[in-house]
Amino acid sequence: MSFTLTGRLQTRLAAAVLPFVVAALLAPAVGEWWPLELAGCMIGVGLVLDVLLYDRVLPYQPGWAALPLGLLELAATMLVARALSVGAPPLAALAFFVAAWIVAQALVHAALPLLRLTYVDDGGELGWGGAVVTALAPAALLAVAGVAWSMQPPTYRLATGVHQGPLVIESAQRLVGEPGAIVEGGIVIAADDVVVRDVLVRGGEYGITVDDVEAVLLDRITVEGAELDGIHVRRSAVTIRDCEIRSLPGAYVQGIDISFSFERTPSLVEGCRINGGLEGIVIHFSRVMVRENRVSQTELRAITMTEMSMGSVEENDVAGARGVGIFCGDYSHCEIDDNSVAGVRPDRTSDDATRQGVAIQSHFWATAELGDNTVADSPGGIAAFTGGTIERE
Amino acid sequence: MEREYAIVGAGLAGFTSYATLRHAGVAAAEIAVFGDDPDPAASWRPRALAIRQRRMRSESDGHCYPRSFPGLAPREAVRRRSLTPLALSAWDRYRPTVDEFLDHVHALRASCRWDESFRGVRIGRITATRGGFLLDGHGPFRHVLLALGHPGLELPAELAADPRVVHAYAPHDYADDIEIVGAGMAAATEWLNALEAGASVTSVRRREPARRPLNVARPLFSKRGLASFHAASRMRRCELLLGYGMPSYPPGRAWDDPIDRAMSEGRFRVTTQLDGAPQVICATGFQRGFTHDALLRRLVADHDLETELRWVVLDRDGSVAALSDDTRTLALTGIAAQWAYPAADTLVGMKYLARRFLRRTSRCRSR
Repeated sequence: MSFTLTGRLQTRLAAAVLPFVVAALLAPAVGEWWPLELAGCMIGVGLVLDVLLYDRVLPYQPGWAALPLGLLELAATMLVARALSVGAPPLAALAFFVAAWIVAQALVHAALPLLRLTYVDDGGELGWGGAVVTALAPAALLAVAGVAWSMQPPTYRLATGVHQGPLVIESAQRLVGEPGAIVEGGIVIAADDVVVRDVLVRGGEYGITVDDVEAVLLDRITVEGAELDGIHVRRSAVTIRDCEIRSLPGAYVQGIDISFSFERTPSLVEGCRINGGLEGIVIHFSRVMVRENRVSQTELRAITMTEMSMGSVEENDVAGARGVGIFCGDYSHCEIDDNSVAGVRPDRTSDDATRQGVAIQSHFWATAELGDNTVADSPGGIAAFTGGTIERE
Repeated sequence: MEREYAIVGAGLAGFTSYATLRHAGVAAAEIAVFGDDPDPAASWRPRALAIRQRRMRSESDGHCYPRSFPGLAPREAVRRRSLTPLALSAWDRYRPTVDEFLDHVHALRASCRWDESFRGVRIGRITATRGGFLLDGHGPFRHVLLALGHPGLELPAELAADPRVVHAYAPHDYADDIEIVGAGMAAATEWLNALEAGASVTSVRRREPARRPLNVARPLFSKRGLASFHAASRMRRCELLLGYGMPSYPPGRAWDDPIDRAMSEGRFRVTTQLDGAPQVICATGFQRGFTHDALLRRLVADHDLETELRWVVLDRDGSVAALSDDTRTLALTGIAAQWAYPAADTLVGMKYLARRFLRRTSRCRSR
């Protein structure tokens, strides 16, 4: 068949109607957005390929071409879905795509030529039907966007000034601080799908506690004067971005502690600045990506990934730590790449060889895969102890 | 008004158009079909038989059903419980046999009640009247479709009186030594027929044939390719149509292998001149141009219609602008409608023009 560009687009939109409706029904049934997001990716990829590729290189499209083009669209859709972090289970996504493809083939080769006498003559154009689907497409997009918007958690503004904590969050929401908003005594997050943004937390045993929840974003948070941990995460999946942890007074204080979250979605700590405390960022039995942070002046270790944790430590800047800079321990598997570690001081209070200014350390059967790290002014250099191994890329 | 519709010509083009009108809900009593023979394949069948054609050149859409789907391939798939016809169709390799095609015409003829509308009358003159057309003494009819077919077989003038000469589309057997004039699909078919019959073949041709699956490029069968064709100037359109008329036949080993074998055996050669063989087969197709058709020639003269070279100038939908308005339509289909659709003599082209005729007349039907 020789499609016109209009015919391609109208046919594409007509073929997308049923998958879109199925996705709209499926989304509330499974309580997830991915069916609609996946349908959106699929339709979007198809329309882009129609305009930029197919219309130019396929003046005539034989029936067999549907197969390789379908595979191309499948690959492109999955790449886009991955890039946009669409949380679709791979098998379910594949099944959805294949079903939609079969529907499209049945429509193009049988249903539309049956329904419209001149479908093939008109290069796939659908007449008034095409005008309807073309008009419905943005309407459907608006409807989905509207539903999505209406289902978003509420946003609460935290006014400028000091609010007495602890503040306990027990439902999905966005908590956004006005400039100068301060919570004294800590924040406890006990609900999924919570965002806390632009808030300074002062004092408290833990600055922010995240316990047994998913999909938490801590964005541009400042914690100061916490008694134990600046940010304390247990059995949860969090994204911590652009935070600052400072003024950690006690000998056992940690900046960020993410523990026992291995079964959860991997967490991310990115762009934080942590100064002082016992350990800057510490991970126990969790999967975490730690990147682009600056950790300085810690007393035990700057960044620790231990107790069978898995993750990456990338592009961090570690300075002035005592004893150990980056530590991968206890059967953990750490990818350590492109970090800058400088001025790690020997711990004069200890005879332990593992604490004599080691910039990067693999310890107790842990595996550290090292990329291109920069180590300076750290007498212990890069070392493995007690069965730990270091692999270089 | 005697009837709403008249179709002049009862061959495959007229038949396809009739089936399309009937599919759209036009009653058999509202259509009059004028022709020589009630069998729509009456002209086509002996030609196919003459060149021993076994399979159709057209592909999946080469049928007379009004809708593109289901065509012959899916019907055969269901009948044989096999996916092979569908797979062949997906690869543009599905070609039904001539017998299957004729069976399909026969069945459709009965189901669309063609015979109820058929009149065994040859029309000689069309006269425009207020709101319609008179066909000799018949009518008036509001909408008339001329499906006149090819005017006649083309024979080179210098060979017309030669007793050795037979046209490829006329019944014939094969001598031991044959010269075949022409280089198109019919000529290629005749090379293989004659070789299979044990003859030595000389291909007499002035130019090398193009090798392409269909007469014209596939985009020209639908709006995508037609848009640029319709947008071309008249001169350019003439050039394009002349180019499409150059001889061609499909590529593939089924054509090449027998010829290669025969060449190696010294039984096939190519020349530009006749060389005294006892039999000359002219695979030179049909007479071309409206002037060869008495009815069209008279129509053009009577109504001073626009023409360009050998074509009657038509609107994109095959209608004659000077004789069509909101109240009446005169349109052409088949080979005479090439100005609107370059592959108008194919089944796909006939359906395309039938649908355009239907679309146009649906807008101004009074009943």
